[in-house]
Amino acid sequence: MEEVDNIIIHSLRQIGCDVEDEVQSLRDFSTATVVEAAVKCLCVIDQKFDMSPVLPPGMSARYRIGTSLAEACVEIGYKGEIGYQTFLYANETDVRKILIFLLEKIPKESAATAEEPAGSSSALMSQAICNEIKRRLQLPMRPLRVCHGGLRLRDSLTQSHRQDYSNTWPFHAVSVNLPEGVSDLTKPQSLEFGLSVIDCESLGRCKPEDVAPSVLEANALQLTIAQEWEAEWNQSGLHSRLTQEEYRARKHQRLHKRIADHLTRAVQAASGDSDASALTGVHTERPVARVKGSRFTHSEKLQFTKQEEKPSEAVKPQAETEEDIQKHREQEFESLKTQLDGLSDRLENTKLETRQYSTSIDKRSLSELEQTKRRAEGHLQGQKRVLDLLPDAENNIAKLQNVIATKCRKLVNLGNQWENHRGPLMEQYNTLKEQNGCRLSETEKKLEEIKRLREKMRALATDTRAKDDLYKQLVAEYERTTKDVNRAAYTKRILEIITNINKQNQDIQKVLSDTKEVQKEINVLSGKLDRTFTVTDELIFKDAKKDESVRKAYKYLASLHENCSQLIKTVEDTGVIMREIRDLEDQIESESNKRTLANLQRIQADYHEMKKENAALMSQLKQLQ
Amino acid sequence: MELSTEVQEGLQIAGDTSVIQDNDFITIMDVLCHNIPNLKQPHKTLDIPQKSETTVAVKRAYGSLLCLMLEAAKHDADESNIVAILEDCRFSPDRLSSVTKSFLEHKAQIRTHLGGIGLYPPHIVDVDWRLDYCIKDSNRDKVNEPVYLIDLKTQRSGETELHDIQFSCTMEQLQDLVGKLKDATKSLEKIAQL
Repeated sequence: MEEVDNIIIHSLRQIGCDVEDEVQSLRDFSTATVVEAAVKCLCVIDQKFDMSPVLPPGMSARYRIGTSLAEACVEIGYKGEIGYQTFLYANETDVRKILIFLLEKIPKESAATAEEPAGSSSALMSQAICNEIKRRLQLPMRPLRVCHGGLRLRDSLTQSHRQDYSNTWPFHAVSVNLPEGVSDLTKPQSLEFGLSVIDCESLGRCKPEDVAPSVLEANALQLTIAQEWEAEWNQSGLHSRLTQEEYRARKHQRLHKRIADHLTRAVQAASGDSDASALTGVHTERPVARVKGSRFTHSEKLQFTKQEEKPSEAVKPQAETEEDIQKHREQEFESLKTQLDGLSDRLENTKLETRQYSTSIDKRSLSELEQTKRRAEGHLQGQKRVLDLLPDAENNIAKLQNVIATKCRKLVNLGNQWENHRGPLMEQYNTLKEQNGCRLSETEKKLEEIKRLREKMRALATDTRAKDDLYKQLVAEYERTTKDVNRAAYTKRILEIITNINKQNQDIQKVLSDTKEVQKEINVLSGKLDRTFTVTDELIFKDAKKDESVRKAYKYLASLHENCSQLIKTVEDTGVIMREIRDLEDQIESESNKRTLANLQRIQADYHEMKKENAALMSQLKQLQ
Repeated sequence: MELSTEVQEGLQIAGDTSVIQDNDFITIMDVLCHNIPNLKQPHKTLDIPQKSETTVAVKRAYGSLLCLMLEAAKHDADESNIVAILEDCRFSPDRLSSVTKSFLEHKAQIRTHLGGIGLYPPHIVDVDWRLDYCIKDSNRDKVNEPVYLIDLKTQRSGETELHDIQFSCTMEQLQDLVGKLKDATKSLEKIAQL
């Protein structure tokens, strides 16, 4: 029982009850402690349960508290008999049962609270935050003047934190890389420099506060570039089956083209409305009229662009003085002149182009004519030959047919030869194509495998790192956990108790079987006794009528039988009484544990107190009225 | 802690005795040890005699070592981490030990310096208060109310001068304020309990 009590007291201390250290078993629990323990447990189990754990001195208040506690326990599900008396007039076994019940109800609630995996970085970070805050909360406050350069030192410099902020500055990074193109050509090793080398000259040029941020930023930038390139290469680069440089060059071109497109579109959108329309408008008109273009004709052409209306309207009211008008006119004259020059150049160019086009057209028609001429000539030749052959018609026809036949045979021959050559070549071609196809699919398979293996490698590496961290963290936590609750001892005791119980079970079984055997023997013997007695009885009775000694023997036999049976009966009665004695002793012990006498005295005292309180309240009430 | 490949290459150069001679390495370490504890003073640059073969390598090695020290201090690396990294970059043992030693000497200073980088909101450091009792004013005949005049002195980052935040409040408002401060303290303690 002590272990159970120890466990109960320990768990109660963990919830927050202060149980004094001398209290070792539930026998020593006072009423106040019992009530406090029950209230604390109920608060943890049910968040809405709100009662102060302190027992009030007034008797009626105590009674109310007892009943409410009992109701709360019944609500939670306690199935035994409970009432205000279990808390106020405590009985050791009942208290033990209630506390065990309440404590069992607790852990299920608190275990449901969020359990983060122990090794996750968020758990680690929150643990570190919590430790640091705890440490800082414990330090006493120091006024501003005492801090050294803003730092709050503790032990060595390793655990200081900043208290004063007059020495801080924002994070401002400048580029500290070497300009591109600086390379060391005389070195045999390939020290390739790009944009990414941290250069100490540029470090000297920037502000001293920016040195550290710039260096860190440069490192982080290079890391992210490398990571992104890695990710992109794994994603799409491997599929395109180009080398890295080719892929990079292609990507460069693509981006360049996109930027150029965007820029041209933007430029056109911005300036296309004004200049292009002016130019096209001017182009249709004759240059002569445009030279004299005044401001009004200029603005007329631009009328269909709303944007230019406003500037042109704005231009009109400004030029009020003569000099301004003059200047404007001169400027327009200049601009129109330049436009004229440009347009005349264009005119020249277009004229040249038209001339070129016309010459090319002429050439093309000439070549076509020559082709038709050649065709006609060939046709004429054929017709002439037919005409020559016509007089000797049949011979010539036969000869021509022979010639045709031989030619056909030759054709067929050649066709066969061609087939003979073609067949194996086609087979070769097919086999080579299949091989190529196989190789392609094989390369694809190999690429897939490579990718898979890389993924596995990465996953394994991250796994090992995570497990290492987890291990370190768990070891640290294990060292940190308090060792006042010795679980190993408890588990050993539990196992010992289990073996004891098993042994006791076996003993009980043995005893039971022994008892059964003894009972059987008794039955057998009593049966035997009865039979022997009846047999002897009959035997002697037969002779009892004739002989006096036999009658005496019969009487002796009867009395012997009676006495023996009386003896047996007394022995049985003694056994029964012994059992009753034992039962009564047990009852006495349990009753004495209940301390009923002491409780009754307390109840009586409390009852008198309640009566007194009631009387006092009544008198107060009467006084007020 | 991760260093980019360029920095790692630079570290390899720094550890390679054939590329960087010992006296150059000593110069690099000297300049580093001068610059690192005094990161607030202007950065003293390496002055190397202009030999074109090793100048660039020396500069690169210096940059990488500086980056290594700053990153290691940022991640609160201890000796084993640095030794592991430098061994990966094939540092010779005596150079390794000198780098580790100087790092451990200056680590705390670097960390305090790095800890000063950042944007911090204004920070209350001191408070002046005054309790006035208003007896009468021009609008009412009898006022008889106490008024608190509070002056919070704040410190902004980077400035030594304190700025004031002044306000006046009645007693209930002040109790409100104090109650909120107590709530804040309690929530801090709750975080610390976890």
